[in-house]
Amino acid sequence: MDMLQTSIDGLMIGSTYALLGLSFALVFGIMRRINLAFGACLLFGASLAIYLEPILGWGAWGLFVVTIVGVALASAYVERLCFAPHSKRHGAVTAMVASFAVWMQLDEISSQLLPQRTHAFQGIEVPNFWWGEIYVRGDQLLHFVIALVSILVLYLLLYKTRLGLLIRATADSPDTAQLLGARVPWLGFIIFLLAGILGGLAAFMILSADGYVTPLFGLWSTFKGLIAMIIGGVGSLMGAVIGGLILGLVETHAGAVLGAEFRDMVTFGLVFLVLIIRPGGLMGVKIYRTDSLAQERV
Amino acid sequence: MDMYLASVLTNMTLIAFLALSAYLVLVVGEVSFGQQAFFGIGAYITASATALAGAHIFWGLLAGAIGGASCALLLGLLTIRLSGIYFAISTLCFAELLRFFLLHLRFTQSVDGRIIGPDGPEGFSNIRWIFENHYQVTDFLLLAVTCLIILLIVLFSLERSPIMLGARMVGNDPILAQSQGLNPTRYRLSFITLSGAVAGFGGGLFALFNTHIEPAMFGVMLGIHGLAYAVIGGLGSAVGPLLGVFLDIGLLESIRPLAAYRMIIFGGLVAFLLVFRPEGIISPRLVSRLKSRWRNRHV
Repeated sequence: MDMLQTSIDGLMIGSTYALLGLSFALVFGIMRRINLAFGACLLFGASLAIYLEPILGWGAWGLFVVTIVGVALASAYVERLCFAPHSKRHGAVTAMVASFAVWMQLDEISSQLLPQRTHAFQGIEVPNFWWGEIYVRGDQLLHFVIALVSILVLYLLLYKTRLGLLIRATADSPDTAQLLGARVPWLGFIIFLLAGILGGLAAFMILSADGYVTPLFGLWSTFKGLIAMIIGGVGSLMGAVIGGLILGLVETHAGAVLGAEFRDMVTFGLVFLVLIIRPGGLMGVKIYRTDSLAQERV
Repeated sequence: MDMYLASVLTNMTLIAFLALSAYLVLVVGEVSFGQQAFFGIGAYITASATALAGAHIFWGLLAGAIGGASCALLLGLLTIRLSGIYFAISTLCFAELLRFFLLHLRFTQSVDGRIIGPDGPEGFSNIRWIFENHYQVTDFLLLAVTCLIILLIVLFSLERSPIMLGARMVGNDPILAQSQGLNPTRYRLSFITLSGAVAGFGGGLFALFNTHIEPAMFGVMLGIHGLAYAVIGGLGSAVGPLLGVFLDIGLLESIRPLAAYRMIIFGGLVAFLLVFRPEGIISPRLVSRLKSRWRNRHV
């Protein structure tokens, strides 16, 4: 029974990791870039939301909206400053270091907005309940549903709309897409906005489940997103979702069996092993073998 | 010399080792988020050798460098198939695993009535080598700068040798390098190992200077700072990483009134700088242009 309870908790947490992983996979799968400032964008959005909350007075829904808008804005800023100027083939390392610089900047702005170490973060109130023998936290169930819905919406957007077609064409081959009339730089901007919205959703859900924000949240969410993407297989969106769920399961089980202290280390160990033994991750093996991705420099 | 100035200069010198080790990995075309682990390992080994075993500083630093190099070689061998983002992430994981190991390393001994040695998250205190040998801050600065200059001389003489040319070729295009008869794997492994040695040596000096080290000091932030310094400074020459260190620690940390806004200004400045000089300030292109101008100076 404990096993089942832990697994369900893991899946609930994993669904938010899946959103973090998806944001990374969107940016990496389509633009071949790593946005180190991703977590800092989330932290900035959350800090802005808490800072504005007493001014606006909209309660939890206000936090929800401001967080998402703040993260999307920060993400757009990062794209303009760090990624748009380095869109050439060899610009990957430069873009990554530029995004690191902006990470520092956003972190500092966040700590100016929130001078204390921890700040309360109010969630949407949902009653908890027992389902048979299993205790279900209402807010986590709500988050799980929100995560599933947003993954579904992303799927529809990518596979059923014209914009999605353009994005997928760009992922396949930016040069060909450009020749056929897609505005690739503009699409890059859209992708960062999308990743920002997904990230903002994830940030709100994680923070309201925890109930507080600390300055370490940025680094933490960058790690989780990267790891979820790597476990699932770089460049695969489905992989990122599955990777996020696996990450959640592994973490909660490792935490339950070995103690909280070992939780992160089990994850890092797992990722290291996955990389050494099966470099493409779970879903990305085919991509790793066939694509030039494996040979490509960061 | 002013104490504050001396300690800022020493810090810059020590971080320069880390930046140079990131530079050595970048030269062979890889990105490492894990150099801080070798820095940390070197720090722990040097601290243990001098404080616990009572070794001379020379042997302590040598052991630190060898320790860093062997960890780096291990990482290089494990990740021999990986490159690009896969390599970068695996270095990150490796570094975090090593840090976790340090976090659980407990080996304390009583030396002269003091409990010293690595003590889990509390770290390693009382590394008293510089007190016992009556080193002033300025003396230590002199020692660190001398080591850095020797390293730079070695790197500059390497720069003119076929080894560095080969490494740069591997970094630019491994397949092309292979067609020229170079073995990319060998270059990669040896440069990663060398980078580990440089980081381990710097870490050893760091431990001696700080007299207290703890695993939390060697987090991923340290490594990414080293990487950023190398990229900002440019990969054209070993002076590049030093310039990066100077720009951040030297210029901005010393302007105290700006301290609270330092990262806001610096972060924006770096991102902005990279828009105009994407290959860093001292880019390979700039270096080759300067070299050809120097060669043609009498024409």
